[in-house]
Amino acid sequence: MKTDPNIPDADGFYEAIIAANEGLSDAESDAFLLRFALLLANEIGDQQLLLEAIRTARELVAGAAGSR
Amino acid sequence: MTEPVPAAGGGYALPVFPYRRPAELQGERRRHKVAVVGGGLSGLTAACDLAGRGIPVVLVDEDDTVGVRGASSRGIVYAQKTLEIFDRLGIYPRIAEKGVTWSVGKVLADDDVLYSFDAARGSLSKQPPFINLQQFYIEWYLVDRLMELPAAELRWRNRVTGIALHEDHAALAVETPDGAYTLEAEWVIDASGLASRIRGALGARMTAEQGEDRWCISDVRFKKPLPAERWTWAKAAFNDGRAVWQHPMADGVWRLDYQMGPNADPQLIADPETVRDRLRRHLGTSEVEIVWVGPYGYRTQLMEHFRQGRVFFVGDVAHVMNPFGARGGNSGVQDAENIAWKLAAVLRGAAPEALLDSYDEERRAAGAHNIHVTTRTIRFLAPRSPFEHRFRDAVLDLARRYPFARALVNTGRLSVPFEYRASSLTTGGGGAVPNLPITLPDGGDGALSDLLRGDGASFLVLCFPGVAAPELPAGLARCFACNGAIGGLPVIRGAALKRIGSAGEVLVIRPDQHLAARLVNPAASAVRAALDKALGKEIAR
Repeated sequence: MKTDPNIPDADGFYEAIIAANEGLSDAESDAFLLRFALLLANEIGDQQLLLEAIRTARELVAGAAGSR
Repeated sequence: MTEPVPAAGGGYALPVFPYRRPAELQGERRRHKVAVVGGGLSGLTAACDLAGRGIPVVLVDEDDTVGVRGASSRGIVYAQKTLEIFDRLGIYPRIAEKGVTWSVGKVLADDDVLYSFDAARGSLSKQPPFINLQQFYIEWYLVDRLMELPAAELRWRNRVTGIALHEDHAALAVETPDGAYTLEAEWVIDASGLASRIRGALGARMTAEQGEDRWCISDVRFKKPLPAERWTWAKAAFNDGRAVWQHPMADGVWRLDYQMGPNADPQLIADPETVRDRLRRHLGTSEVEIVWVGPYGYRTQLMEHFRQGRVFFVGDVAHVMNPFGARGGNSGVQDAENIAWKLAAVLRGAAPEALLDSYDEERRAAGAHNIHVTTRTIRFLAPRSPFEHRFRDAVLDLARRYPFARALVNTGRLSVPFEYRASSLTTGGGGAVPNLPITLPDGGDGALSDLLRGDGASFLVLCFPGVAAPELPAGLARCFACNGAIGGLPVIRGAALKRIGSAGEVLVIRPDQHLAARLVNPAASAVRAALDKALGKEIAR
């Protein structure tokens, strides 16, 4: 999994995410993020990479799965 | 035999088989080769397969009919591999005539068809992908077939109440209308269902889990014409946003299966007025004849070991799973086939007893796999948290537009044969070989299963052009040349043969039509080694 910078225009990407969620409720932003994640997951299409990203995200939020 | 029809007021008119006083209660001492306990789908298949291979078998059942008394049909979907087994056992033509052959499935969310599939596309087998038929019909056909087989004895109203294991046999305590007796058998196949007394008496360990998800089946007849397809709604507005199944079966009966709220009260959800209202919302008509209503929950059970000494556990005794994917009954039939050929090979002296250990190895792996697959389905259909619900709904939303998300929609992964890739018996392969249509050596039309019928447990060795005819001991395997003469081997022909093998290859196919080895230009010794391995001779060492 890449952890060095890989997004060509980082500030532009951030701006676009914020703009897309402008005026959305928390529930709608939550729905947005789920769809965004699913679209990206298919684009990546690499099972090992996806599992690694899932593991990493979980650890960042609450430690390894099953640890609480 | 008379054909049953759905009886007025629900249920079906089922046959009654005669009880006869067992030989043991007439002063005879017997030591049976194989006893099968339980006359359901798995037990009857095991008995039929053994008797068809010429192995004497006695089957005991506590009841004197098929199906579950007072209940209805249980399983309805029979998948290709199961149909191929029934073809070999000789009951397939009756199933095909009576049942509903189908291959198209549709997955819906409310009024949208998310996707449809046609399982017949790419199918190489002589049998169709699926036939739907009430389970008791299949059981009935198996009983009829067993009554034709001289090696089989059926004992109705014989209830097994206990078991004792001995060095060279097992002793079953059996109760009958004429009193109790002891049935001695060298080997026992326990197919007595999810509450097996034998499993309990032996103290065999298993894991068990009961879920909160509740469903209610309505088997009904109505006039509205619907296509002979499997429709599954991941969620349906007419069922309060929950899942629904719609399946045709024989006698013009449809199985409509509705997901209910968690822990729903079985009496309330099966209340006649509630059921009629549900059907009206689904079908848009009140003209519906209710054949049977069955509220249910499901559990997950898996035995730690599918063999204990002289006892083998098959079907629901060994594994219980939710019905979404039709993996319970179909895997039970495949359990039965697996143990039947192995017992036949051992009893005929063609294989060491160690071969029987591979039953646990292969079929427990299959059971665990099927439980894993069906559990994933239920996690999709019955999300356990608000997040799971939102994530599932995001998938359904995307699936309306994008093909990729359709692959994530899981309303059941239908039964496919387990691949014995990691089995101790497998040299290479392990998957099921489709029942290819072929021209037989005598010029007649047939299928691969025709080459596997008959006494014993014969392997098939298929030789493709360019290989030398392997010399093998008589009685162990039947050797055929594919699409052209090789030495003096009988020749089978068929375009589909090219789909399973190429020039220079030899395929070693087990009696259950699974691939044991794919060998390229092998010496005769390599073919022999693959056969030995598939007969458990490496386990024995």
